[in-house]
Amino acid sequence: MSPRSSRIRNIFEPLDQSLIAKLWQDRFGIPEQAFAGCKFFRKARSIWAISDADLPRLSYETIGMRIMSCKDRPWKPTTSALQIFGRYAAKNLIHLNREEAMIFLEGGSRAIESDCEPGYVVVFYRGDVLGCGLYSHGKLVSQIPKERRMASTAGSEACSD
Amino acid sequence: MDYLDRYREIVPDYVAFQAIQCLPLYNSARINTLKITREKLLERLKEEGVLFQSFHWYPLGLKLDIESPGKLLENLLGYIHIQEELSMVPPLVLGPEPGESVLDLCASPGSKTTEISQMMENRGLVVANEPSLARVAPLRSNCERLGAINVAITRYDGRNFPHGSFDRVLVDAPCSSEGRERRGPGVLSRCSPERSQDLQVLQIGLLKNALRLTKPGGVVVYSTCTYAPEENELVVQEALGEAEEFRLEKVCIPGLLECPGITEWNGKRLNDDLSCTARYYPHINDTGGFYVAKIIKN
Repeated sequence: MSPRSSRIRNIFEPLDQSLIAKLWQDRFGIPEQAFAGCKFFRKARSIWAISDADLPRLSYETIGMRIMSCKDRPWKPTTSALQIFGRYAAKNLIHLNREEAMIFLEGGSRAIESDCEPGYVVVFYRGDVLGCGLYSHGKLVSQIPKERRMASTAGSEACSD
Repeated sequence: MDYLDRYREIVPDYVAFQAIQCLPLYNSARINTLKITREKLLERLKEEGVLFQSFHWYPLGLKLDIESPGKLLENLLGYIHIQEELSMVPPLVLGPEPGESVLDLCASPGSKTTEISQMMENRGLVVANEPSLARVAPLRSNCERLGAINVAITRYDGRNFPHGSFDRVLVDAPCSSEGRERRGPGVLSRCSPERSQDLQVLQIGLLKNALRLTKPGGVVVYSTCTYAPEENELVVQEALGEAEEFRLEKVCIPGLLECPGITEWNGKRLNDDLSCTARYYPHINDTGGFYVAKIIKN
């Protein structure tokens, strides 16, 4: 890693759209058009997507939405990003029933029969994308962030005005 | 509650105004059209047996007859956002269009930021500024949950936000929050004219910078959830000064009753055109309290 790399400098660096779209196409079968109108940036080991518009030269804390982490292999999609782009997925997706969905939303894990490839999957319930799951050895492990889980919603109202 | 007596002369039907402070505010939410249509969302709520009522003045606003709306799956998935009724007004007055460039100078927790993003259909750019690191977390979390992907967050002191040429700027300023008494009783016990005077210095700094950051022909909306003229009309008068570059435009939301901004306070005459600004009182629309001013840069 060069000392000028964004991983060290911790700044947002523009990325080629087709590079990112290909990763999502390969894993989830999401067509590249799903990302039309977005541009991508890398900061440290995360990838961010924002609607295509001129960004004034400012010091940014975030640019759009953090859509994936490349900290480990394989790369991991965020639940927020799957809730937007996941509905276009054609593979590596799992549909849950009500009971399974509740466990998933609470952050739990559960044995599920699926022909998905091992790795991160898009999890659906009644047509809604719930978020990101990790599927391996016949088990689905919820990757829903703590603050978005069913059991921990008490604080969410404090975030509103 | 006696603190409110200082507004006896400016609030119509003062007795009703005072009486309603003790009545808790209902729960309300905004439908997030970035993720779901109004029809689909209403259908889901009906299926789940959630009792609701649409605002008569805004089809995307809902009164929810439920104890913890934050626990609804629809909230977790970002189909709705728990938001006070009048908090939905300033973005509507700002009127952002898809593709524009908008600055929300005091953005956290992002209720208005995400409403702006929704009005822009996720196109164009919303710069959401929030100086406090601790307050960036809920702002970011709300943007992500609601799927607002045209938002970039900055952390400047709003008075020194460096440069820009925005189509529209919202200054939903830090304030004494007197209008929130129905949400969190006890707010008024922390209020005093001195505190309002202190906040005024900050508010004038924020509004002056917002006016500078707006392109000619652009719009600035200044809002607070307080009644104190020191934080409302006096701030707008001071920030606009004598400059002919700016003019106030009448604030009016059809279906919602506003009272005109005041033009006299403590025996001092204020600019007549401050009557274009709007005061929303809790006893008139059964809401919280808000103040909104709309400024056009010529």
